[in-house]
Amino acid sequence: MLEVNNIDTFYGKAQALWDVSLRVDEAEIVALIGANGAGKTTLLNTVCGLLPPASGSVEFLGQRIDGLAPHSIVELGISHIPEGRRLFPHMSVSENLEMGAYVHEAWKRKEETLRQVYEMFPILQERQGQLARTLSGGEQQMVAMGRGLMSRPRLCMFDEPSYGLAPLLVAEIFRIIQGLRDHGITILLVEQSVRQSLEIADRAYVLENGRIVLEGDGKSLLKEELIKKAYLGL
Amino acid sequence: MVTFLNVVIAGLLLGGLYALIAMGLSLQYGVARVLNISHGEFIMLGGLTTWTLYTAFDINPLVSLVIVGPTTFILGFIIHRTLFKRLLSSSTSPGIFESSSMLASFGLLFMIQNIASIAWGPEIRGYSYLAVPVHLAGAVFSANRLVTLGFATVIGLAFYLFVARTRLGKAIRAAAQDPATAGLMGVNINNVLALCFGFGAAMAGIAGMLISMCYPVHVVMGLEYTIIAIIVVVLGGLGSIPGSFIGGFVLGIIGSVVTYIDPGLSLVAYYLIFILLLLVRPTGIMGK
Ligand SMILES: Nc1ncnc2c1ncn2[C@@H]1O[C@H](COP(=O)(O)OP(=O)(O)OP(=O)(O)O)[C@@H](O)[C@H]1O
Ligand SMILES: [Mg+2]
Repeated sequence: MLEVNNIDTFYGKAQALWDVSLRVDEAEIVALIGANGAGKTTLLNTVCGLLPPASGSVEFLGQRIDGLAPHSIVELGISHIPEGRRLFPHMSVSENLEMGAYVHEAWKRKEETLRQVYEMFPILQERQGQLARTLSGGEQQMVAMGRGLMSRPRLCMFDEPSYGLAPLLVAEIFRIIQGLRDHGITILLVEQSVRQSLEIADRAYVLENGRIVLEGDGKSLLKEELIKKAYLGL
Repeated sequence: MVTFLNVVIAGLLLGGLYALIAMGLSLQYGVARVLNISHGEFIMLGGLTTWTLYTAFDINPLVSLVIVGPTTFILGFIIHRTLFKRLLSSSTSPGIFESSSMLASFGLLFMIQNIASIAWGPEIRGYSYLAVPVHLAGAVFSANRLVTLGFATVIGLAFYLFVARTRLGKAIRAAAQDPATAGLMGVNINNVLALCFGFGAAMAGIAGMLISMCYPVHVVMGLEYTIIAIIVVVLGGLGSIPGSFIGGFVLGIIGSVVTYIDPGLSLVAYYLIFILLLLVRPTGIMGK
């Protein structure tokens, strides 16, 4: 479904990704793990069009998407739930969610999608008139996820959705992500909670200093020595 | 009591124009991040075009709205598409874009002014339209100024509803708050910024049309209005469209009170308010 082939990405003159390749198949959960500064966010931002790659290609459903603007990429069915939530702070919860349905196809069905999102996160319905900046961290993350789903995407990319949340809420977020996959949405997941992500992932990639150093299925990576030492503290 | 009411009404009449001008700048500065020093030049273009249409072609000034509005909109849209879009993509940070776009808008000011002075010359132009007296609260105002207030208010409220309720209006607000994330939602940022710049220019053009009905117009009239617009935008809170609307009326009433005391002092009072505001409450009355 998504194919990233040999991309190099730069911030000005500083290279952040070297020859990175990655594949996500339909209805898979693929985890991307790595230390701080490894380039995980950079990779997602390259896929969603915020950072065009200097070389290599990105293909989605067989179509080249590198070089397209972010607004065209979301129209094709990729939703990016960015690091740090990035809500529109002076808009209400319901307006933030509506913005998620901005692409034409999704706009036509936004009432229906909104009901589904409120079913998934009932607290958001209670908070629908409240300004996003006044929400708690957990509520903000739910708005970010709900907003990402409003475009009715085929592929969802989550960048550290559990960051800064209490353990109970983290478990809830992982449960929701699994539920999305069961509804046929493909997931590319960047996470700090390495154990939990590997447990739900079909496959995973490990990124170090801008390069993919390891890939495999989730369960077997959990047993890998390098992972145990570097990310699980065993 | 009667004089107090008169002063307030005169302030509202002035305030409607200020509100319109400031809302236009608020779109260009609050959303497109261009502190457009040439804003007043679009007012001048609107005013002088209306004068020409009325005196040479006998076109009713209110009818010229449908000429002046779209023309200034297209002009603003094209200027953003060619000049500011390019500056934006070559700027490495928002701060760099804010300073380079302001300098570029200074350049625009001189270009527009020079072209206009070739077209219209340095003379002060004026005409008389709807200059019939209307009695209001014991005082006399001319009908054209009341029409001005009506137009400014209707345009202001309509635009507020547009931004608050419609899909495109919400995209404009989202782009003002976080352009990159608005792009992730599917908003074509370059289009929205150019639209905002165009809307801002159209509001200036229409304000110029309204001004020409009440006051004389000339090629170098623009800068004073630009400064007033900047003061109102800061007064109302940067990026807040309702703030600019209300701020316009607040400054209009202040201006009217000061003019009642001493007509020569109004600009001085505006600057004083501006400086005090920057010192005491830089986020403005409706600032976030
Ligand atoms: N806007 C930027 N300008 C310049 N360099 C950047 C920028 N953003 C990230 N980098 C650099 O690129 C590299 C990869 O950063 P990235 O944010 O992709 O890491 P990450 O894996 O997402 O880290 P984290 O787990 O902390 O979110 C880092 O060395 C970082 O310093
Ligand atoms: Mg990151």
